[in-house]
Amino acid sequence: MHDLAALEADGVTATFVASSEFVTATDAQARALGFASVPAVYVAHPIQDRTDPEMAALADEALPRVLAAVTGASPAG
Amino acid sequence: MRPVTTTATTAASTGVEPPADGLVVVVKQDCPTCQLVAPVLGELVDRGATVYSQDDPAFPPGVEVRDDTALDASVALGIDVVPTLLRREGGRETARAEGWDRATWRELSGVADLGADLPDWKPGCGSRTHDPAVADAMLVRARGHELTARRVELAGLEDEAEALYDRGWTDGLPVVAPTPPRVLRMLAGTTRAPDEVVAVVPPNLVPATVEKVAINAVLAGCRPEYLPVVLAAVEAVCAEEFNAHGLLATTWGAAPAVLVHGPVARRIGVNSGGNALGQGTRANSTIGRAVQLVIRNVGGGRPGEVDRATLGQPGKVGLCFAEDEESSPWEPLSVGRGVPAGTSAVTVFATEGPRGVVDQISRTPESLARSLAVALRGVGHPKLAPGFDAMLVLSPEHVAVFAEAGWDRARFTAALAELLLLPPEELARGADGIEEGVPEPTRPRPKFRPDGLLVAVAGGGAGKFSAVLGGWVGGPGGSSPVTRVIEEA
Repeated sequence: MHDLAALEADGVTATFVASSEFVTATDAQARALGFASVPAVYVAHPIQDRTDPEMAALADEALPRVLAAVTGASPAG
Repeated sequence: MRPVTTTATTAASTGVEPPADGLVVVVKQDCPTCQLVAPVLGELVDRGATVYSQDDPAFPPGVEVRDDTALDASVALGIDVVPTLLRREGGRETARAEGWDRATWRELSGVADLGADLPDWKPGCGSRTHDPAVADAMLVRARGHELTARRVELAGLEDEAEALYDRGWTDGLPVVAPTPPRVLRMLAGTTRAPDEVVAVVPPNLVPATVEKVAINAVLAGCRPEYLPVVLAAVEAVCAEEFNAHGLLATTWGAAPAVLVHGPVARRIGVNSGGNALGQGTRANSTIGRAVQLVIRNVGGGRPGEVDRATLGQPGKVGLCFAEDEESSPWEPLSVGRGVPAGTSAVTVFATEGPRGVVDQISRTPESLARSLAVALRGVGHPKLAPGFDAMLVLSPEHVAVFAEAGWDRARFTAALAELLLLPPEELARGADGIEEGVPEPTRPRPKFRPDGLLVAVAGGGAGKFSAVLGGWVGGPGGSSPVTRVIEEA
């Protein structure tokens, strides 16, 4: 979140990807830092035991949302 | 260390200016020695002296007395004892007599026959500024301006412990309410200015001033003399390489622990002996807790929010102990970490807490080292290497086995490193029927990264038991132990 803020302050559009278990952590940090909203992308938990093909599938699934987060476009587009 | 009493305060802080020149006497009615000297006070006033009375403006009767029941003059003059006779010249004190000492009073006053009917000498009484019933109010009046933290007023019917818990300022255990007098007394444990920034505290990256750390030290139950240790530990925990944010946010249950080195440990009573990792010693129980409360209350690191620990562990309330440097046959851990011998310091390290290691049979260093290596291999998972750091706490009976065989610290750690160079066929995923492990290892791997295993000596004299304190991911991306010298110790 701090990195996100630093990047955005430097004019670099940014997002971050985390597993769904970290939604409340993001919310807490966003409140503390005064973020109105956070362009976060969440993928299904867990991550640690994923095989490489499973991780690739997760990334493929998340990619449209990542692009949407950094471009402001609709995930479907 | 700054004295807790109000004697260090100046006239400017109370707004009262005692006479710049001449004699000043401070008395209180509730003092037999002051009553004894009452007959000479009128004579001194006639010669221009100023008399302040701390508790009764009508005392002594028949003498022109200034009312100092508010104690402002007493604070400004730094009165510890009554009666006190002072000579002031040009706004500065040039002579002082405490209690009744006829010769000194005569010399100071220039009255050759002063108190001819009185005894030669009689000790005085404690100044009312030191009366516990008024000392707190005096302290706040004299130095309360140093505090800038937001004041929180509790309603009369609120229970302090409940109110502080309800506001989210505790770790679940009751805390000591950080009233202004308590915070001021805590601040007396350091010479650092209350508004000095000690560190920027993760996860919210909030600057922590000395005052804020002192407030949390009060909450935790610290004594003022612990504050320099807490300050050094907060600095260390907030160092970049310690990565307190990552340690908090990981689902692993490790948390900062504080190891205290050097003479400060004995001076303030940090336990390095029996039950050093347990309860019952105030310094051990409160210093680590104060650090955790700083992370919670200043940094905003709370369970269920940025703290994502799956299970956590009891040491997250706070874990602090000292190395037994006096009876250890080895040089202290801190010396190996660059701290000069005899210098007080703290080392903070990430740990999930202690797990005991039994070996009551080994009499050779080779055998005992193998026992300890087997236990250390279990840190994190026996098939993961390298991975997590660890702390090994050797008990006196165990370290004696090595010392008696001529093993020093370097030889011991080298032996452990050799024993913990693990064969790839044992680490591979799937090996031993366990899917967890290292993916396709091709050569032996060390259990711990270089400097990833700390070794300290502590514990009671009886017990062939040591303790492994497993850590968290070591090095970049994880957490590295951090040592800081305690500047004021």
